[in-house]
Parts: sequence; C-alpha cells; structure tokens
Amino acid sequence: MKICLRLFLISLIAIFFALSFMPESSAQRRDAFIHSTADHKKLDCNSCHKNPTPNWVTARGYPDVVDYPGHTACNSCHSGRQFLALCNSCHVSNITPRRAPRFAFPRPGSLQEFNTVFPHNVHQDIIAANVKETGVAVAHFVNASFTAARIARIDDDKPQFNNCAICHQTSTAAPKLIARTPAGQKPLGDALIDSFAPKALFFKDNPSGHATCFACHFQSVQPIGTNCAGCHSPAVPYRDTAEVKRYSFKFDHEQKEHSIRDCMTCHVRISQNSDLKTMVDADVPFLACVSCHSDKISEEAGKRVETLSGNQPAFQCNYCHTPAVGRFPMPPSHEKR
Amino acid sequence: MNGFRWILPLVLLTPVGTVHIAAQTGGTLDVSGRVTIERKAEKLTRKRFYLFRGGLDSNKALVDKLKAANITSRDCFFCSQKTSTAFIAWLKAEDCESPYCRSISTEDTANIPEFQAAYQKTLRQVRNRPAVAQKWLTINLAPNLRDGYYRQRKSMIETLLGGLKPVQTSMTDSVSVRAAFIDIPLKNADGKATETFLVSNLIPFEVGTKSYLWACEVEIGNDKKIILPLKVPETGKTIKNCEVIVKDLPVCTAGVCAPK
Repeated sequence: MKICLRLFLISLIAIFFALSFMPESSAQRRDAFIHSTADHKKLDCNSCHKNPTPNWVTARGYPDVVDYPGHTACNSCHSGRQFLALCNSCHVSNITPRRAPRFAFPRPGSLQEFNTVFPHNVHQDIIAANVKETGVAVAHFVNASFTAARIARIDDDKPQFNNCAICHQTSTAAPKLIARTPAGQKPLGDALIDSFAPKALFFKDNPSGHATCFACHFQSVQPIGTNCAGCHSPAVPYRDTAEVKRYSFKFDHEQKEHSIRDCMTCHVRISQNSDLKTMVDADVPFLACVSCHSDKISEEAGKRVETLSGNQPAFQCNYCHTPAVGRFPMPPSHEKR
Repeated sequence: MNGFRWILPLVLLTPVGTVHIAAQTGGTLDVSGRVTIERKAEKLTRKRFYLFRGGLDSNKALVDKLKAANITSRDCFFCSQKTSTAFIAWLKAEDCESPYCRSISTEDTANIPEFQAAYQKTLRQVRNRPAVAQKWLTINLAPNLRDGYYRQRKSMIETLLGGLKPVQTSMTDSVSVRAAFIDIPLKNADGKATETFLVSNLIPFEVGTKSYLWACEVEIGNDKKIILPLKVPETGKTIKNCEVIVKDLPVCTAGVCAPK
C-alpha cells in the first residue's frame, strides 16, 4: 500500500512538472505569437495589423506595415501573466516591455507562418509589355531590389524585360547554393575536384517586401494592402533559408547570349503558372537549354556513353553541371534530346 | 503483434528506386507568332494562345462562338470611357493594353490629364513624396482605365469557353516570338501515334486596322516538336486546317465608336 501511495505521489509530481512546461494557453507558446491557433484564425488580419502603420514614413518611405500590432490588439483577449508571456514576440527585452525597443518588423530569422501566393499568368497578361526597355529603371513600379549601381551595370544594348524585371533583378550577393541531385539515383562515381564558383550576378532575386506589390495593389486593385489573405496563405511554419537548389549552377543570366533573350524564351511555362508552389524546376525545361546548346550537350553525352561502354570511370558532365550533379546517370529528358 | 502482420506486405509494396527525374513526356508544340500580314512581317509578341483537345470538328461549338463574337476593340473600349486623346495616344505608342505595360515618365504625368489627377491624389496620400507618388500613381487611376480592358477580355474569354477548359495556355515571347507548349498530355487513343488538338487565341489580336483570330488544328505526337506557323489567307482563299477570322476594327471618331 505504501509503495502504491509513493508511486501515486511521484506520478503526481511528474505530471505537475510536465504541466509547468505547457504553454500558458492553447493559443500561445511562452515567447512567440502563433497565427495558426484556432482562436487567432477566427480573427481578421486587420483586427490586429494596420496598414499602413504610423511609423511608415521613417521606417520605409512608402506606406507599409512596418510595426507590430499595439497592446490593445492583444489585450482584448489576453490579460495578466498570459499577456506578459507574449512580450518576447515583439520586444527585444522582457524588462519594462512598454519602453523596451521592438524587433524589426517582420522579425528577422523568425519562423515563417505564411506562403506567398503569386499568379504569374495573371501578371503576364495584364503587364504584357511588348517593348524592351533599355538601361532604364523599369516602369512605374518600385523594383524589388533596385539600386543605382545595378542599373549602371546594364549595357546599352542589353534589353531589360519590363514585366519580369519589376520583381526579379540581378543578384548582388551570391545565394547559398545547394546541388540538386536526381532523386533516387546513385552517382556513377566520386565527384571530381572542381573549383567553379558561380558569381552573384548569375542569379536573379525575388521581392522580399511589399514594395513591388503595393505599387499597384496598395488600394483599388485586389488583393489590396489590407487583404492579407489575398497574397498570404497559412503554411506549416518554416525558416526562410534563402538557399538556392539547382541542377545547374553554371547558367549565367547576365551572359550576353542569355541576357538578350526574353525571360519567357527559357521560362516557357511561366505564362500559365498560377501558383508558385506548382512551379516545376524554376520553370526551365531541359529543351530550353537544348535549343541552343545541343552540340555541347551531345558531345558530353557521347563521352559518357563512351566511358561507360569502355569500362572506364564515367565521364562527369561539366558544361552545365558541377561534379556534384554531373556524376549522376543521365535523366530520360537528356537521353531523349 | 497483430499490427505487425501488415508490415511485411507494406514493405514489399513500397516502391524502391522508382523515383526518377520526370521525363519530358507528352507532346511539344511551338506556335510561331511571326506572321505576314498585308505583305508586311509582323511579330505577335506577348500574345496568349490556348490549346484544346480535339480538332475543328469536335470543337465546332467553340469555333462558331469565336466567329460570331463581337469583341470590343481596344480603341473602342478606351473611347467609350471618355478618356483623353493623350491617354489613348500614350497606350497606342507602345501597343499597350493597360497603363501597367510601360513606364510612366514624369513628362507623361505632366501631359496626360488622367495621370496628372492620379498623381496629385497619390502625392497627398504618400505625404508629399514625389518619387513614390510617381511610381504608385496607378493606385488612384479610375478602375476602367487601369484594368478595365483586361477585365472585359477576361470575362469575354470565360463566356466563349463556357466552362470548357484548355489543356494548356502559352504566351509568345518577344525574342523568338513563339508560344511553347510542352509536356502536352497525350491520350493516344485507338493506338494512334498522334492526337489532334486545336490552337486558338480566342480574343482577336489587333494589327493595324484589322483584328485576327486563329483556330487551327494540329497533330501532336510524342516523338518530335511540332511548329505551327500562323498564316493569313489571301482574300477568298482558306488555310488548310485553320479558321482565320479577319475583321475590320471599328473606328473611334469624336468619342463615338462606329464600324468602319
């Protein structure tokens, strides 16, 4: 009987100990606001977020959501200890939070709770520029990552395709690269040593804020600036790593023969893509490469066949790929070319 | 222990090593937007084409609707909005269908009344920041000037399709002037190596004083890329496997749109 009582007491302590680690409410972790709880999902985004926030003038220079919702937004449901537990969501310190500085909004490095919805097809239709703009800051849109230095680099004879360049500019910093390898395939050998390092300007960037979107959608054209759900759909929380996964790192967007082409010459399916999540392989199919580079691709494919049939180490394709990818078996698309 | 009896069959049924890079299965079609119209080489750039299963006969209802459709021309649309001649001239200068199509310069803002009014409104809204007001001025343009023409065409396309879903759509680029359809899913019924499809622009393209609409059938197979060149027949003649509908564009005079 004594043993039973002791076990019961130990269990009780263990349960209380475990409960002390539970969130203050089902709606919250200790230090983070979560959008996806049942109670928060019932609320309209605008019941907490204001667009624009009063500090837009100094923080952005254009009307935008640049700050966290005020205390009143939380107060209406949360109070006391439960409310205090939320301080770290916005404030850098838990001490005298009302005066403590706040993190930048959105908080850098925080978990992302939303995906961005962007229909390329609709934008291609309505923007549909027929003219090539040369060496000018494009359109009346705020370029996502426009800098004067970037424009200065554009040669006079290099067209800048109005509708794509609104959102996608040449990168100024090399992204973190990850070799995308064929799923379920085994490499034919160890990767050869390779010193190739792609430059930042090989890549195009993406809009990272509201600037580009609001230039047209701030009001009147749906989804407008206060219709958050028009562009942001709830997602399983993820960390935005800014990693770029590619089969080929050797494609240089700025190379003369590439830069004089319309983006849609290679991104052939983009004009029918209504959802970023369904985009296939950055929308560039192998046949887009073959249309100009068939000789070189055939030469390398020939070397691969030759080495394999001669029982030699497999030739590692390096015209488009780094050895991390070029050592894998040729996919059916390449065989069919 | 009972639960484990399912593990072996599950393990055996799990596909191992069957994941490959997706092969480019299906057909490939390029629609060439380089057309000779009245002995002049034209480039139909940034124009959308739609691909349907079946040929001209099996899509007769759609083709009949296309022939009968009375579509408002761009000129007539903007003319009916009582827009300034400066605004219409600005659109025409670069073959634009909306003010989103090209840069609005400060000079344009000064000379075009619609842009000037929108700029002034935006300037007040963005607390007197001229650069932002210039970039954002379309947020204060009248809805019909902004995207009214696009919305009208979209609604026309929905009416013409009446629930019919295209297999794919594609747009011509501005350099190679081709609309590429890839990975077209082929049914290859009855053991046929190819399948018949219909390609159409649904909404006529305006070139000069006329509008042009194509509905062409094409045989697509798995083995090679098909190129469909668009042609305009000489008067009284036809193009094989194609319905080409050429109409005169109505003319807008003194704010009124009338047939030519």
